[in-house]
Amino acid sequence: MIEAPLQISLEAWDEAYESSGAFIGRETCYGGSLGRHVKDGNTRLKHLLFDNSFAALNLWNFLLTEEDRLYRARYEGKILVGTMKDLGTVPVIAYAFPDVVAFYPDGAWWIPCLMEADEELLSIADNLGVNDSFCPVRAMLGAFVSGEHFPVPDILVCSVGATCDDFSAIAQRVEGLGHPLLWWEIPHRREPGAREAAVALPGGTKACVDQVEAVMVELDRVICALSDKAGVKLTDSMLSESIVHANKVRACLMELRHVVFTAKTAPLPSLELLVAEMMGLHYCSDRREVLSVLSGLLETVKRRVDAGVGFQGPEAVKVFWVNPVADLRVMNMLEESGGRICGTEYLFTHALDLIPTDLPAREALARVALADPMAGSALDRAARICNDIEKFKAEAVIISRIPGASHCALEGEVIREVVAACKNVPVLEIDVPSMCDTFQETLQTRLGALVETVREQRKGR
Amino acid sequence: MYYAGVDVGSRTIKVAVIDETGRQGIASGICDQGVRQAALAHNLFDQVLTRAKISRQDILRIVATGYGRNAVEWADTTVTEITCQAYGVRQQVADVRTIIDIGGQDSKVIRLDERGIVYDFVMNDRCAAGTGRFLEIVAQRLEMGINDLGGIAETAVRPSIISSMCAVFAETEIVGLLANEESPADLAAGVQRAVAKRMVSMLGGRINGPVVFTGGVALIPGMSRALSDALDRTIVIADTPQTTAALGAAMIAGAATERAERSNRPVSAGAHYLEGIR
Repeated sequence: MIEAPLQISLEAWDEAYESSGAFIGRETCYGGSLGRHVKDGNTRLKHLLFDNSFAALNLWNFLLTEEDRLYRARYEGKILVGTMKDLGTVPVIAYAFPDVVAFYPDGAWWIPCLMEADEELLSIADNLGVNDSFCPVRAMLGAFVSGEHFPVPDILVCSVGATCDDFSAIAQRVEGLGHPLLWWEIPHRREPGAREAAVALPGGTKACVDQVEAVMVELDRVICALSDKAGVKLTDSMLSESIVHANKVRACLMELRHVVFTAKTAPLPSLELLVAEMMGLHYCSDRREVLSVLSGLLETVKRRVDAGVGFQGPEAVKVFWVNPVADLRVMNMLEESGGRICGTEYLFTHALDLIPTDLPAREALARVALADPMAGSALDRAARICNDIEKFKAEAVIISRIPGASHCALEGEVIREVVAACKNVPVLEIDVPSMCDTFQETLQTRLGALVETVREQRKGR
Repeated sequence: MYYAGVDVGSRTIKVAVIDETGRQGIASGICDQGVRQAALAHNLFDQVLTRAKISRQDILRIVATGYGRNAVEWADTTVTEITCQAYGVRQQVADVRTIIDIGGQDSKVIRLDERGIVYDFVMNDRCAAGTGRFLEIVAQRLEMGINDLGGIAETAVRPSIISSMCAVFAETEIVGLLANEESPADLAAGVQRAVAKRMVSMLGGRINGPVVFTGGVALIPGMSRALSDALDRTIVIADTPQTTAALGAAMIAGAATERAERSNRPVSAGAHYLEGIR
């Protein structure tokens, strides 16, 4: 096993895997070499750099075998819940039921990247009139039509209202293709009025009691639908137990983030951290195993920090990253440019915050759902980003835009203005479509210039 | 001894050589970009050295910049054009606070603090709108050279309104305006205004002076005035707008060497100029 933390190519990983006996006895049922996923069509992996730890290999293998788990669950007669858009809330409800597995069909938005657009998902979406002026999540539409990549869920649940317009349009097309959706509404979170009773939400925002109650009613509809499908009545204790488990995953991720962001030298690359954070949303279709995967990663990271080793020297520029990227390669480019991840806000911070356990379970979930950054204003997001910049001492901010994503066209500009005014750190906005190869040079220039700008500023101090 | 900067841009390649004081430019050169950009850069470099009557051995250090900087394998290191522009422009206008750089296929706004250090930048490099290429397309459509645009624009009576910011759609729009018998002068002035408005949008209302205009488009007559009118403030054109990035690259080469000498360390290939060490 390679000891020093490194970012290595797929080829190097496979060589290490083949030549090392270190994996014997540690392998999971989804384990194996990374290269086998290329044979399954995930050709983008050939262009990525990976953390060289066993824990990271485990993370990737877990991520890239979700489809297998879903088909196995179907084979075992489990109920498959396709949860869409809510980012983190409905899975907590779904996993409260026995023999129910939840997953996000939205996750198909990474397939065009991972398979380097070799599959037909985007063409199918194009043919349905959902062209590249829409968010890459349109790949989900193609996946529903092709019937590949995931089994058709037994029930589809989709949040609507204060969500992304693009997504709602695409989800409606899914429904139009004969896949009925249970829509539940999430209102735009607003500041409570002077005469309204306010409640605190996880993450530091507030909402009025009426809004929380409205979301509870909506979540009740979801609970009823899932109960009908599962043939089991959901009790408060079942939901509370699910919340406790969700909080274990969230606590693990919170600690992982904190350790990574505050380490003197970067102990984990930004790409693996992004993948790990995403797992907090949906558990990669195995709520029990995800905790083991993330705990393993956390242990590795802690060991590295204790040993004082990392990927880059302490001079690496500390970058706060806003929004997830459609092309995973771009995360590698951060380290290649001399930056390191030191704070993230991938539009689902509410799925990383602990769910209150001192409240009735349904109310706690409603509060978390309302804390969704997408349900509130861009100013709320900017405020949280500013707090985290301060907390983790980030020196620069990158806002990656997803072409076509329409939940707030000017959100990046709002965040840029607030951050620039409050924190006096440079902010870079970049567009990241599913494949960035054709303008990799220009992206490298921008990232490089950001790193240079921070270094110039340091020198001037 | 001397230091050199090579700016491999999208439309042209530029070379600048400065003396050992790190401040005095002694030679520069420009050539058009082409398919074999590494060879073109090398040829230009040799030509500039020949003209200056110096040899390759006299060059202590070379920094490459521009979008094709990685093609210059014989450079000691690479630095982005954002940082190089700041160094080059600051050499010419010491108290510059905002740089507007419009090149062949990209445009940038670079903001510097009171110490002359970059603290923020915005780039447009995925779309021809507001770039030299946009002006070239228009000049071709009007059957004139790009350098004639400014002269004819000065005779405009009522500058045309170009509403599209996309170079392709703007061309279509211009075809329609020509069909409506709008004069080339009005069209040229309208296009210059459109480019200027694009830059105003990139500036986002945050403008500190002095504002310096650089890049090849700064040489086009009338562009500076169009920018000045759109921003409602004085714009200074850099002394040598096409070569400020190359000049900055050469200065960075000099600064890195100086820092290394001060610390009594050899400058290795790829040493980072900002840290002075590797």
